[in-house]
Amino acid sequence: MAVMCDYCMQHGAGGKWYLNAEHYSNEVAEKHDLRAFLLEQYTNFEQISVRPVGGISPVGMDHTFRMPIIGRVVKRMAERMLHSRKPPRNPFKAEGHMGQVVPLEDAEEILRHCAAEPLIEKNCMCRYMARGYKESCCINFGVMSEIVDKIPRFIPENEKYHLTRDEAIARFREHNRKGYIGTIWFGPFPYINNLCSCENPECAGIRPRVDFGIKSIYKAEYAIDHRPGACRACGACVRQCPFAAISMDKTLGRPVIDQDKCYGCGVCRHVCATDALFLVPRDDVAALAGKY
Amino acid sequence: MLSRTKITVDYTRCGDGVGVDPRECGKCLRACEPAVFLLHQTLGAAEPDPFDPKSWRVTPMWASLCTQCRKCADVCPQNAVELSTVGFWRTKKLAKAGSQAGAS
Repeated sequence: MAVMCDYCMQHGAGGKWYLNAEHYSNEVAEKHDLRAFLLEQYTNFEQISVRPVGGISPVGMDHTFRMPIIGRVVKRMAERMLHSRKPPRNPFKAEGHMGQVVPLEDAEEILRHCAAEPLIEKNCMCRYMARGYKESCCINFGVMSEIVDKIPRFIPENEKYHLTRDEAIARFREHNRKGYIGTIWFGPFPYINNLCSCENPECAGIRPRVDFGIKSIYKAEYAIDHRPGACRACGACVRQCPFAAISMDKTLGRPVIDQDKCYGCGVCRHVCATDALFLVPRDDVAALAGKY
Repeated sequence: MLSRTKITVDYTRCGDGVGVDPRECGKCLRACEPAVFLLHQTLGAAEPDPFDPKSWRVTPMWASLCTQCRKCADVCPQNAVELSTVGFWRTKKLAKAGSQAGAS
């Protein structure tokens, strides 16, 4: 039983917790009084990543993360803040703000059945802050959409941004095929308000985990596997994988998968001409069970 | 880890409303492969105004991931970006490849 996170057991009816529509509902947002909190947080969004936390400026913290013992302590503290399940107090801190990778199928399920209306596609602020260009690929739900609607700089120009469920699914599918990682974000815990299509070095939530080992995002409920017989060794999946989990083995002459590095986003499947890649539930792989 | 990369951005030439507006330029942001730089609003103002060009800056947020390729410094139209390695004893400026300047 230890293979599954206790939160899924309690709130996902024994399945995946993010497929329970309760976590998307306006009631959850109102229960934790998140309307004012999220408005405050998103009005000052571009400041938050440089704002001191507990008197310590985050600029230059990456050097500290890499220090032998101090780094581990600091990373543990950052992780505790991100994993907080207490009601959030400070909108300038990323308390209880975390994400999880979701593959295309689960994202479609979320958009079709779980997400609260209205659905909005806003500009990705991670890409804007890391690369300086605006691309709309972040789908918001419910209360979050109402807040984003009030902040004009998040709204894409000359583009329809109020989406129906079918339009949202079509947009998400398009992003996923491009190789963007599907992720849900619950900030503050446990209110799920975002379905983003992220990229690896740009995303402010994926980077701490990939580069520094801070669990700011959980891996998906799946991991990738393949049928070696069907593989034609074209190498398209090696280029598509955003986490460098697939590499070309020169001796074997075909790609090999490092399941430990796999986040289960499943975007490699879209470029495979022979459908050799498929997702397996994380818990079915003995080495990965319970490791998110 | 006795030496580390330090990136400095000269805010008298870029950002804070002087020189070029980093939101329109953004060349260093796009040149950097590991996306070390972060475009952000500065702190301080009681009522932050996102449309005020004085409140925007580029900060080298993840300098430890820098590969010292110097593309950011080469691409900057204002020559505002400077790279150096901070060692235990001394700081060494990373000059343009092929130029004469070395240790300082």
